[in-house]
Amino acid sequence: MMRSILASLVQLATTVLVIAAVILVILVPLSLSQPDPGAVLFAFLLGPFDSVRHIGNIAEAATPIALTGLASTVIFRAGMFNLGTEGGFFLGGLGAAAFAVMVGIQGPLAAPLAILAGACIGSVACIVPGYLRVRHGAPEMVTSLVFNFALLFAGLLFLSYVLRDPTAGALTSPKIPADARLDRLLQGTRLNSGAIIAVVACILGGIWLFATRSGLNTRIVGSSPGFAAHLGLPITRITMATQVVGGLIAGMAGAVEVLGLYTRFTWVSLPGLGWTGIIVAILARENPFLIIPAALFLGYLQVGGDILGRSMDVPSEIVGILTAAIMVAVTAKIIFENPRLLRAIRSIKQQEAK
Amino acid sequence: MDAFFATIADPALFATVLRVMTPLLLAGLGVLISDRAGVLNIGMEGMMLVGALTGVLVSAYTGNAWLGFLAALIVCGFVGWVMALVVNGLGAHLIITGIALNMAAAAGTTLVLFFATGDKGMSGALKSEVLPNVGIPFIADIPVLGPLVSGHHILTYLALLSVPLVSILMLRTPFGLRLRAVGMDPKSAATAGISVKRVQAAALVLSGVFGGAAGAYLSMGYVSWFASNMTAGRGFIAIAVEVMGMGSAWGALAASLILAVAETAAITMQSLGLPHELMQMIPYVVPIVVLTVYVSRRRARQLV
Repeated sequence: MMRSILASLVQLATTVLVIAAVILVILVPLSLSQPDPGAVLFAFLLGPFDSVRHIGNIAEAATPIALTGLASTVIFRAGMFNLGTEGGFFLGGLGAAAFAVMVGIQGPLAAPLAILAGACIGSVACIVPGYLRVRHGAPEMVTSLVFNFALLFAGLLFLSYVLRDPTAGALTSPKIPADARLDRLLQGTRLNSGAIIAVVACILGGIWLFATRSGLNTRIVGSSPGFAAHLGLPITRITMATQVVGGLIAGMAGAVEVLGLYTRFTWVSLPGLGWTGIIVAILARENPFLIIPAALFLGYLQVGGDILGRSMDVPSEIVGILTAAIMVAVTAKIIFENPRLLRAIRSIKQQEAK
Repeated sequence: MDAFFATIADPALFATVLRVMTPLLLAGLGVLISDRAGVLNIGMEGMMLVGALTGVLVSAYTGNAWLGFLAALIVCGFVGWVMALVVNGLGAHLIITGIALNMAAAAGTTLVLFFATGDKGMSGALKSEVLPNVGIPFIADIPVLGPLVSGHHILTYLALLSVPLVSILMLRTPFGLRLRAVGMDPKSAATAGISVKRVQAAALVLSGVFGGAAGAYLSMGYVSWFASNMTAGRGFIAIAVEVMGMGSAWGALAASLILAVAETAAITMQSLGLPHELMQMIPYVVPIVVLTVYVSRRRARQLV
């Protein structure tokens, strides 16, 4: 037992080292171009921890990407590369706002029902490409990618002709009723009860994936479809069910984001947090328990970048480059499937077997 | 309704369709070359952004539009080479690499724009050059036909000329044969002595060059400046163009023409106050339908 934990620690340590190296390689030259290199590094790396407010900002930034990360994890684990989480996130936010504004339920049920509505509407983004793949064999990667944009314009059509607040100058929804909005947890930040939902969802997702029969079946279908077929598992049904669940989570993520942070629905382009969720899923090695630290880490980078953008003359866009480089580095086979690393891990495990 | 027909009958409409089509066609051909080699270039959107910014910056500093265009091609070809290196050298996931490239390009171009001009949104402060429109001698003088065929942007002609060239390259040259072999079955190709890595690298470099041309067209022809995120999803429509065109260059031409007509109609509808979002959905819905029908038909044939 000890040794298998040790073996997984080796992999974790490698990941941390690679990420640290990527951050240094990008950040050091950038800071050297500024008049005070030390201050740039300091603001970016330690700034996010210098106040309770900034720590709250990290959790606030981590909330949506933890949920979209979970959605991608569920989908990827079934062996599908469905990128519909981005569209699902957008549609989930729109659906929740529309439900809250148009149905107008009051009292404590307003927010949960709005989130449920958002989740159901958002799930379409993952269900359609999943169905086309399972039923007709259309590659889900391409169809889900373009379907995101189709949903964006469908959503905008709905926003401008049905939901739009005619008294507002810009293209936005009317104000979301206060009952439907999520409670704020920390003064001075937008951290809200959605963070609790995200943590609970990730833990439940982990328990489902690793400790239930249905989770095990899903992992078998995803990792070795041939074996799953020999076992007589209902592959089509399992695959489709994970696309539905992944879509529901993505929609929920969008709903939580809109009800937690905004007073109106204002997105007129894809917010990009579904893409970031894919990075979170990859970074967490498709393990729901690891999603929470992975999402917090990306939230930390985001807050560091924002501090840099506000206090120094360095645009916060640097975070985008950092994230992209990390994304590529942690999927690099040359590092993580390096024969030496694999041999080291195997030797640690084998010593336990003896 | 009269206004609607008046707009449709406008002789400038054909020119608008070609203007909208050019970047889609160039980028679509780029995606096509990469996809046929088995390395679908999801990063086309990012490559176009890089090309657009490079064109503006280099032409502003040298004062020569052609140098800017050339630089855009070279830089984007280089980006394609780096992508090949990351995918085949480092062994990173192809699709993740593409998404990462889009992300890095969106952030990186904004960053470079900021350091070059002090503005994060637009390159208005830079005096960049544009590539010219060209009139074809003799043909321009023919009534009716002349204004239709002549006087378009030089990159529009280049894009149209690329269609037969890419088609010949893919179907009639040893390189094209190798490229398609690698895309169809990399293991068999490797057994036959083809270097899969080298062919895929060449495909991604070529794909990048087309992406650079498409990007340069946006900032040096379609408009005369660079704005952050100015590609606005055209790189993804390019993937749709390739899918709709069923992987052939002529198909890509037809697909980009159809999508350009749809987008032109969307622009026209917008100016008339009609719901243009419906038309904007077309480039994203049609490829899904085409792909599904195509794949399920092929599947049905195999089952019989």
